[in-house]
Amino acid sequence: MNAQVAEAVAPEKKEFWRWQENTWVDESKDWRDAKIVTCGIDVGSVSSQAVIVCDGELYGYNSMRTGNNSPDSAKNALQGVMDKCGMKLEDITYVVGTGYGRVNVPFAHKAITEIACHARGANYMGGNKVRTILDMGGQDCKAIHCDEKGKVTNFLMNDKCAAGTGRGMEVISDLMQIPIGELGPRSFDVREEPEAVSSVCVVFAKSEALALLKAGYTKNMVIAAYCQAMAERVVSLLERIGVEEGFFITGGIAKNPGVVKRIERLLGIQAIDTQIDSQIAGALGAALFGYTLMQKQGAAKAA
Amino acid sequence: MNDGLFDQFKTWYEKRHDYARDWKARTGGQVVATMCTYTPEELLIAAGMLPVRVLGAHEPQNVTEPHIFGMFCPFCRDSLAQGLLGRFDYAEGVTLTQSCIQYRQAFNSWRMHVPTVTWDYYLPMPNDVQSPHARKAHHAEVQAFREFLEALTGKKITDEMLQESIAVVDENRRLLRELFDLRKVADPQVTGVEALYASLTAQFIDKREHNEQLKKVLAALPNRNLNRPEGVRFMTIGSENDDIAFMAMIESVGGTIVIDDQCSGTRYFWNESLPEADPIKAIADRYCDRPACPTKDYPNHTRFDHVLGLAKDYNARAAIFLQQKFCDPHEGDYPDLKRHLEDNGIPTLFLEFDITNPIGPFRIRVEAFLETLTEDELF
Repeated sequence: MNAQVAEAVAPEKKEFWRWQENTWVDESKDWRDAKIVTCGIDVGSVSSQAVIVCDGELYGYNSMRTGNNSPDSAKNALQGVMDKCGMKLEDITYVVGTGYGRVNVPFAHKAITEIACHARGANYMGGNKVRTILDMGGQDCKAIHCDEKGKVTNFLMNDKCAAGTGRGMEVISDLMQIPIGELGPRSFDVREEPEAVSSVCVVFAKSEALALLKAGYTKNMVIAAYCQAMAERVVSLLERIGVEEGFFITGGIAKNPGVVKRIERLLGIQAIDTQIDSQIAGALGAALFGYTLMQKQGAAKAA
Repeated sequence: MNDGLFDQFKTWYEKRHDYARDWKARTGGQVVATMCTYTPEELLIAAGMLPVRVLGAHEPQNVTEPHIFGMFCPFCRDSLAQGLLGRFDYAEGVTLTQSCIQYRQAFNSWRMHVPTVTWDYYLPMPNDVQSPHARKAHHAEVQAFREFLEALTGKKITDEMLQESIAVVDENRRLLRELFDLRKVADPQVTGVEALYASLTAQFIDKREHNEQLKKVLAALPNRNLNRPEGVRFMTIGSENDDIAFMAMIESVGGTIVIDDQCSGTRYFWNESLPEADPIKAIADRYCDRPACPTKDYPNHTRFDHVLGLAKDYNARAAIFLQQKFCDPHEGDYPDLKRHLEDNGIPTLFLEFDITNPIGPFRIRVEAFLETLTEDELF
């Protein structure tokens, strides 16, 4: 039998996992009017952010994918936001590095852990009622308690496993061939909420998802099952530390309602809403720490 | 700053197998691999042997899976691996005193599968040391071990020989406590890493030699100036720990380890034996009375107040639990011990240890913990 072989055409390579990189500045302000300009740079395992804070207020940021080395990722993230507003490195009074690459931020004056920075950032973004923070980062996940100033009082991190983190969501996005920003809304477009997948392991997710598809699940059901599993996993982390009122979610996954709403449903409480990009919480907290340090040192930028 | 004061301990630790081989060549005596710090070393020393505690190597290994489960604690797996890999090929004997059941399996596998072992002895020490029958039972077991060793060597172990070895071991305990007591003061002249080198090496170096070295160090310490910032004073809590890299990391990011409740540290040497005409009674009682491992701490949890007392006496600001993954006895104690410490003003951090440990992620946790204790200038 002669099989008809269609001419091989290389399929267009789409990167469904690729999330929106963002640069934003507050057009209503001019950084040149500020007395103290500080910067926080969060070099995470998956994304890097640079945040500019003018006199203790968020002024601008740049959020992008982390490259293959921390110093370059830090430089590129900062360059992006500086270019947008015509700023130069010497215009910044103080730089704080955070994230797993915090000690490799070349121009940082101080390094502070992402745990402290996320709590401080969440305190700014969600207000001083924030007490429990869930940071769902690229490769780790943290549950943090803080006081009314945003000072960490207790924390827990996931161990040795990237399940339930942003990287896992990227894998599912690629697998389902659905842009990552659509996963959340589509996870609710199901007739009946499926049970959580049994494994949130980033590596085994693929075989589990394929088995579900074969068993007659729609893509949306697979996504719903995965979002539910991720929510259950982070809720178990949260429950180890306890959830206090004033619940706030930071990190890239905070943008995915498919996970956030399911976390809220499991916990029976609503997360505090914010208009600020949840991915910048760490860098924002770092920049705010820089501002406080400068204020205390009384070193203002020359007018 | 390194003035080399603890270099001998460090060298002994790093080259412990070379030391044992050399000791054997030098003295002609037998070397005995001891598992668990409840082993009455006094008897082995009286019999002219060198007790060498089995420690892990903190390297990835693939030799224990056929013998014990992967869900046995890392110390079990690492200890067995060292035997299977021939690292203790100089040891004629291996002995275990009962503490936890997983370690007993590691010992059983060791005595079956390490070809260089010519004799082994399991000492079934009671776990319920609080029972009124425990001391009598343990006395009989220690006596039976003495008789076993006499039959093995063909030589009598007299009461005088035992009293002499008790004196040597007690002197070692006393000197180690003297060293550890120097850490009570602000800006101590001994770091946690240095103290760990001293207490670990006591577990495999000839005690007489170890005592001489401790005396030298103790004599030099009053004139020492470490000239390093103390930072936050930490206590460490857990089972065996000789992860020097981890301890050094804590002391490099703004902390000083000032005391521990671990069998690599204080639990090994904390109490001396009480004077008794019957040396076997002195030895047996000493092990029943020592600061308890969680396997021997019921129905009353004597550990909880002991650990809190250490934290207070040594002015520890916070405690870090170094939890060996899958170590059920310590995991069982953890929730209540954590609460006991925190209720009494000692914040805690929990870290789960494996054969090899991720220093980077641990560093983030330790630094974040430090930030909760200090960094007030940030707010």
